[in-house]
Amino acid sequence: MIIAIIPAFNESDSIESVVHAVKNHVDEVVVVDDGSMDETVKKARAAGATVLLHNLNRGQGAALQTGHDYAQTRAADFVLHFDADGQFDAAEIVPALQALQNSKADVLFGSRFLNKKGDLPFTKRYIIFPISKVINFVFGTPNMSDVHNGFRILNKKALSAIYIGQDRMAHATEIPALVKTHKLGYIEYPVTVRYFEYGQNVKGGFHILKDLILGKFIA
Amino acid sequence: MLFQILILLFSLFAIVSIFFRRAKDGLGIRATVFWILFWLGVDLVVLVPNSTTVLANKLGIGRGVDLVVYVSILMIFFILFRLNVKIEGINRQITKIVRKNAIDDVKKK
Repeated sequence: MIIAIIPAFNESDSIESVVHAVKNHVDEVVVVDDGSMDETVKKARAAGATVLLHNLNRGQGAALQTGHDYAQTRAADFVLHFDADGQFDAAEIVPALQALQNSKADVLFGSRFLNKKGDLPFTKRYIIFPISKVINFVFGTPNMSDVHNGFRILNKKALSAIYIGQDRMAHATEIPALVKTHKLGYIEYPVTVRYFEYGQNVKGGFHILKDLILGKFIA
Repeated sequence: MLFQILILLFSLFAIVSIFFRRAKDGLGIRATVFWILFWLGVDLVVLVPNSTTVLANKLGIGRGVDLVVYVSILMIFFILFRLNVKIEGINRQITKIVRKNAIDDVKKK
């Protein structure tokens, strides 16, 4: 059984179509609503998703871990991380899952760069991306072709080994680091990303760095 | 002279309140000793202002006052850092509660 986990915060414009697109390719769609103030919850339910409610906004990393906890109660074999804004292509879920199963690895990371699918803004490619790589190196993540890609699939072993402690955006660095710590196998898989929003800017990057440093001092 | 008396009185008040906090709120032995030594140190500096200069010169700093300022700034930054770590820790505890609520709610249905 594969469960899709879609963290959502004020995504009422896109959540319905994303849930509809994803649910044909997985066994259950779980939308973790991170304290949205719009109609995200209503629309996600109407589209047929199981909705978990954070009654306070805790961040994307926190929402993913909530999804993990739920998936474990449902004895899921795989969990898929998928973004709520529609930047990923749901048609890539099944081939990605097959690739993971064939590889005998535990975790699949989506990559924008393996086959150079999707188009990336210039500053992302030449400024933010190289800086992220340095940060990832310092915090002990494996060297991968993409950083901070929200498309991931984890098997049961990875699901029970990985606990996402970073509540906000730093989980994207934390997860690969934990994969390395727990000696899990991983593969990268090319995914298409359509940019609707810019995503992490430089300020966001500083927040991530701060979270990563503070995280080192929390038991 | 007035300034010295005021500070001495204040430190006396501070030391007494440390003992009260130890008795009432269970302030730890390490914190108790630290704060008592801190205020006794303040008293020493107030009573013998040159004492900081002696120490400063040994460390290669010209004036005692400068040493006090440097040490104070370092301490403030350290305390800020500790506070940040503590706040992040509390944040993670809040997340755990929010998560438990979310899972419990969906199980009930």
